[in-house]
Amino acid sequence: MKFINRNTIKLDKEANDLDEFVFDFINILKKHTDYVIVSGYVAILLGRSRTTEDIDIFIHEFSKDAFNKFYNELLKNDYWCLNSEDVNEIFDYLSEGLPVRFALINTTIPNFEIKVAKKILDKESFKDRLTVITKLGKIYISSLERQIAFKRYYLKSDKDIEDAKHIEELFKDDIDIRKIDKYKQLLSKSQ
Amino acid sequence: MKKLTPSKDRKQDRLNFVEYWANYVRTHPDKEWSRQQNILINSMMKNAKNSKLTPKQYLKIKGEL
Repeated sequence: MKFINRNTIKLDKEANDLDEFVFDFINILKKHTDYVIVSGYVAILLGRSRTTEDIDIFIHEFSKDAFNKFYNELLKNDYWCLNSEDVNEIFDYLSEGLPVRFALINTTIPNFEIKVAKKILDKESFKDRLTVITKLGKIYISSLERQIAFKRYYLKSDKDIEDAKHIEELFKDDIDIRKIDKYKQLLSKSQ
Repeated sequence: MKKLTPSKDRKQDRLNFVEYWANYVRTHPDKEWSRQQNILINSMMKNAKNSKLTPKQYLKIKGEL
């Protein structure tokens, strides 16, 4: 894998079942709103030797109408929401900034945890997101520096520290340390 | 490639492996490391299909109910 420009990584890996699961969902989501994938799946997409039960995604604010269309398309494609079957209730959760989870019908894992980006830091993750070009298509992920700062200085679990370490080692020639420090400071102010 | 350094400390030992694996990914073709990674991930995806957790049970475990 390599950066082919400042914002794009070209990845020539063989797709796995999790990648296919993610791309199937993203291909529906992107028709209705903009998104950026954050947290564990970013490290996994970039080669980390672990798996995950949920894929975290920030989305832009939906109109009610746009959300209804998105939800109906999910139902048609055999997804369900783990939080509620009531479309109005799901929309209200998202509008309040709460995360909601979608999985394939009659399953719970793996699932997608989607959340409307409401905080400034979350909204900013759209501005410097990266495009990853894979055999399954392109996908948007949070910047590497944001991922490292968020995992190393905010989430801080063993798993998150390991994810940060993986990205740091993998892209040690490309990562901007000053950006990580900047996000670290912003995260400490937001806590 | 640098050899994997063992450690008596479990946490450090894991971090050493993360560093070792990241170096492997960095220095080997995507197709090569992804074939190995996919064994782990596809196995999890297969097991996930056998999970009998209901949404309510799952959300309770996650502390979201």
